[in-house]
Amino acid sequence: MAEIRWEKDFSAVQKRAKAEKKPIFLDFWFDG
Amino acid sequence: MNTGPYSSQEVQKSIEQRFIPLKSECFWDKRTDLMNRFLVKWTPTLLILDAEGKEHHRMVGYIPDDDFLAHLELGLGKIAFNEDRYAEAGDHFQAVVNRHPKAGAVPEAVFLNGVAGYRRLQDPKPLRLAYESLSERYPQSEWARRSKPYAQIPLDE
Repeated sequence: MAEIRWEKDFSAVQKRAKAEKKPIFLDFWFDG
Repeated sequence: MNTGPYSSQEVQKSIEQRFIPLKSECFWDKRTDLMNRFLVKWTPTLLILDAEGKEHHRMVGYIPDDDFLAHLELGLGKIAFNEDRYAEAGDHFQAVVNRHPKAGAVPEAVFLNGVAGYRRLQDPKPLRLAYESLSERYPQSEWARRSKPYAQIPLDE
């Protein structure tokens, strides 16, 4: 199973996205 | 742990293979910079951004698996569309229709597919075809009403 490997830092994600030429999927969540 | 729509293998595969996934926790009493940057007022709020961090598609609230997959495809189409890659955008919009025919995102995908076709071909017929499809298959949708002006476009020229 391809468990999603979530990133947590937006800057790091932008760097990865540019390097891998992929869009970003951003999930805002609330642990009520 | 992956829960909700993320428990679906198909959703997991689509996100993992096609996006860089980022989770950002919300605190209502102490809003984060990202919450303010993207005007997040409710959760879940799910955004599809390009590699520069520019927003192209937004989903708010719980979304069932098939609708979720359709939105991912629609978001990819919107990125391509907004970056003037109309053939690629059309492929994504058509994939929404073909792979997720019952999803709520389909009428918007049909509409945008018509616009992408017009942009790509410099020919208004795809707009008329989008109107025909929407008025026949999704007559109650807002997108059918939005496409109504295209009913006047001739198909036989």
